[in-house]
Amino acid sequence: MIASQLLLAFFMLCAAGAVLASFAPPRSLAGLLSVVGSLASLLVLACSGLLLFAGGQVHFFELWSVLTLGTLALQGDPLSALFMAVTGLVFLPVSIFSSAYLVKYSKHHNLRYFSVLYHVLFASIILVFVAGDTISFLVSWELMSIVSYLLVTYESERAGSSRSAYVMLAMSEGGTIAVAIAFILIAGASAGLGFPALQSAAPTLGAPMRWAVFLLAFFGFAVKAGLVPLNSWLPLAHPVAPTNVSALLSAVIVNLGVYGIVRVNLDLAPPTGVAPGLIVLVIGSLSAIIGILYATIQDELKRLLAHSTIENMGIIAAGIGATMVFVATGHRFVAAIALTAALYHLTNHSVYKALLFVGTGAVEAGTGTRDLDRLGGIIRGMPWTSAFFLVGVLSISALPPFNGFVSEWLTLQTVLRSAVLASTPVKIVFAICGALLALTAGLAVTCFVKVFATGFLGMSRSPAAAEAQESPAAARASMALLATLCLALGILPTYVIPAIDHAVTPLAHESATAALVPPFFSVNAQRADNLPPAFTSEFHDLGAQVGHGFLPGRGLVVLHRGDERNPVVFAMSTSYMLVVLLGILLLIFVAMRLLTRKRRVERRIAWDGGLRHLSPELTYTATGFSNPVRVIFAALLSPSAREESTEAVAVHFRTAIRREYTEVHVIDRFVLQPPIEILRRLAALVRRMHVGNVNAYAAYVLVAMLVVLIVGVGLI
Amino acid sequence: MANWVFKGLRIGVKSSAYPRWPDDAPGVSPGRPVNTPLSSTAAAAALAARCPTGAIKGEDGSIIIDHGRCVHCFRCVRDVEEPASWRQGYEWAVQETEADTALRSLARIFGRSLHVRFVDAGACGACMSEARQINNPYYNMHRLGFFITPTPRNADVLLVAGPVSDAMRLPLRKTYDAMPTPKRVVAIGACAASGGIFGPSFAAADGAAAIIPVDVVVPGCPPPPLAILHGLLVAVERKPPAGVHYSLRETEPA
Repeated sequence: MIASQLLLAFFMLCAAGAVLASFAPPRSLAGLLSVVGSLASLLVLACSGLLLFAGGQVHFFELWSVLTLGTLALQGDPLSALFMAVTGLVFLPVSIFSSAYLVKYSKHHNLRYFSVLYHVLFASIILVFVAGDTISFLVSWELMSIVSYLLVTYESERAGSSRSAYVMLAMSEGGTIAVAIAFILIAGASAGLGFPALQSAAPTLGAPMRWAVFLLAFFGFAVKAGLVPLNSWLPLAHPVAPTNVSALLSAVIVNLGVYGIVRVNLDLAPPTGVAPGLIVLVIGSLSAIIGILYATIQDELKRLLAHSTIENMGIIAAGIGATMVFVATGHRFVAAIALTAALYHLTNHSVYKALLFVGTGAVEAGTGTRDLDRLGGIIRGMPWTSAFFLVGVLSISALPPFNGFVSEWLTLQTVLRSAVLASTPVKIVFAICGALLALTAGLAVTCFVKVFATGFLGMSRSPAAAEAQESPAAARASMALLATLCLALGILPTYVIPAIDHAVTPLAHESATAALVPPFFSVNAQRADNLPPAFTSEFHDLGAQVGHGFLPGRGLVVLHRGDERNPVVFAMSTSYMLVVLLGILLLIFVAMRLLTRKRRVERRIAWDGGLRHLSPELTYTATGFSNPVRVIFAALLSPSAREESTEAVAVHFRTAIRREYTEVHVIDRFVLQPPIEILRRLAALVRRMHVGNVNAYAAYVLVAMLVVLIVGVGLI
Repeated sequence: MANWVFKGLRIGVKSSAYPRWPDDAPGVSPGRPVNTPLSSTAAAAALAARCPTGAIKGEDGSIIIDHGRCVHCFRCVRDVEEPASWRQGYEWAVQETEADTALRSLARIFGRSLHVRFVDAGACGACMSEARQINNPYYNMHRLGFFITPTPRNADVLLVAGPVSDAMRLPLRKTYDAMPTPKRVVAIGACAASGGIFGPSFAAADGAAAIIPVDVVVPGCPPPPLAILHGLLVAVERKPPAGVHYSLRETEPA
């Protein structure tokens, strides 16, 4: 059992890291954290790789036996292995980056405290994934929630830090309570608290109980995943957290919510009707559109990325919702594709969001600000950081050949596959959600064009941005690793899908590899089981088998053909797309060279309107760039403007005008604020009782005593 | 509502026939003085003395007009014993440079789709007022394939008015630099040709040629719309110029 030993080694390494951090000399703390974190990530990657490709369920350790509740155990299956692998993929570069980033805290902050929490957080996250029963799951979940809260509030002297972190903790605890109740509801019908026992007990639950379990578990985990209407903590927590913790929040901790949803709502208690799946799909689509809408209008880089996390979690949830619908209706192939799309997007999101956060941290370290309206032109001072950030921007904008494209394309294709469903209303819901997701993809491009164009290109808007310094080697190495992953996950989907498929097959009861990556592009098999021979030979006539002699695996084309009723084919190959794109670029370069060979080239400054001096205030700002979106969606965003002015003589002789635009998040406005308002009013009513008069309080005591006596007499 | 269709059909085409046929409608041009042989040197000197802008030179019993300075003030024809002859017409544009090289010639490529960037380099407003008219239904430059563009990056021709005040030197230079080759410059009005009544002075140069190479000059103060159209047609070699390669400040065209 190498996997068990690796996992044990990982936990021991985390413990050793925490202990070492308590005693090591202060100057070596950042380096120590980086080395221990990286080694631990490598152990996690090795362990999860073994687990993922071995398949089946692996029983790691039995912790202890609790009377009447059964044995608490750590166990892993391909699903937890996939999430562990993603966690490792994020923790490795973030740990490397931390060695460079934490230097700024070494003077005024206690790095010991941070290091210990960092290692405990890593261990607790992995514990959540390998927990094999309710109690160890909830305990590690609580540990993770509290440690992540402590890390977010690390810079507690920062304005608003305590409050934001407290909102995060409060929402997280609410979610945990809901999840715990869901577990108790299933456990009521089962023989033990282990996940296998819960899984076998779930089908025996009645319909109202199933609904209660679904709603409690989904909305409980949706808090961590940052889905609407429980997303308020994400944009609050990110700006106050240290940037490496932000990267972990957005790239790892939100994944835990998705893990919980998949684990409970697809694995332990799979849906029997379409309604739960539709709820998840609609919530996911709404999260996507609301998330990206608020991301587009943000000017603070980390808050923008936090809203974008909500968007991406929405896309993932939409994929999971589609899976649940397809599982409930028995469309196994499509369910497998949908879950593959969701998990692929989860992997991609973790990688590129980590890259963007690490890039943000590097920019912040180099310029001292994260405000897009004060950045600009930092590509000149930080060329490497900007290049890597550009890779992240292209990935998150879902542009080929980077990884975001593959999974968003798969998700949209899955939604289009809803044509196989029998019920028309369900198809309509799918169509609307598909439209929302497509709009989301478009707005995402707007949002990240804004980020890169106003933050990295153009003129510098502040002296700090003009004097930006390239980030240290550790940060660059971390970004290079993530950028390479973005490209690899983008151009090699046919090798990633079979890996994800190990986790998908047990849940969708069908292999997505067979549905998505037909083998006839490669040497091994010339025939795909689910495709008619005529179709296959048609592709062979087109030259699909080219390269089968040297390409490993199943070739480089992702292709799916629907069933007999709806034999629509979708196909794409980002690998070939990359080759063609590079070819086109080369062709354009050569053609331009040939065409302009004989021409004299004059170089003059760019047209600036003929101004004497073009100041950065006159160029396109981030606020200006996103203003059309703000205007178009004004009904949803509902901004309120407050204007103050000071006048000299009369109203029209103004000496100063101050305009403030404020937007209350649409979810806060419609979902969170009304109950808070009602509670406030109730509290105000109760407060009237407190008149401050001693006699009145004596009367209360008397009345209370009388009530107790009367009730007591009545009972006797 | 739909009346304008019938109204338009009833009224028919009212646009100027220029450049296919000359336009002799009243008021299309103020006319201008031309070189006139006079009876005596004294009469020529008297006319030269009356000219407020120094556009008239009296020589050997005849006067020579520098059209680049003339502001059509009529002082050389009114209340004088021997007036200068006054001639109507509007084909006044002269070519300052030869448009022979392939790099500079717009005619072949842009002859019928010419994008014009108009720059007011300190003009008094008269040239602007006239230049605006070439866009109206009567002069209608679009029928000739001329279009106004807001950015020099899309422009083929730079239309300049005004003596180029100091504040406009840099913008004019930048505008010219921002235009892609092949490009040409048409200077309209006496100010852009020679500085006119404003330049050279402490605040203005003596015409657009001091800043950028000018290809076609349209004299007149202001030049009537048809003269501006003629200038644009000369720039794309669709009409012959009134004169070739001469300095308006010195001599009359041959």
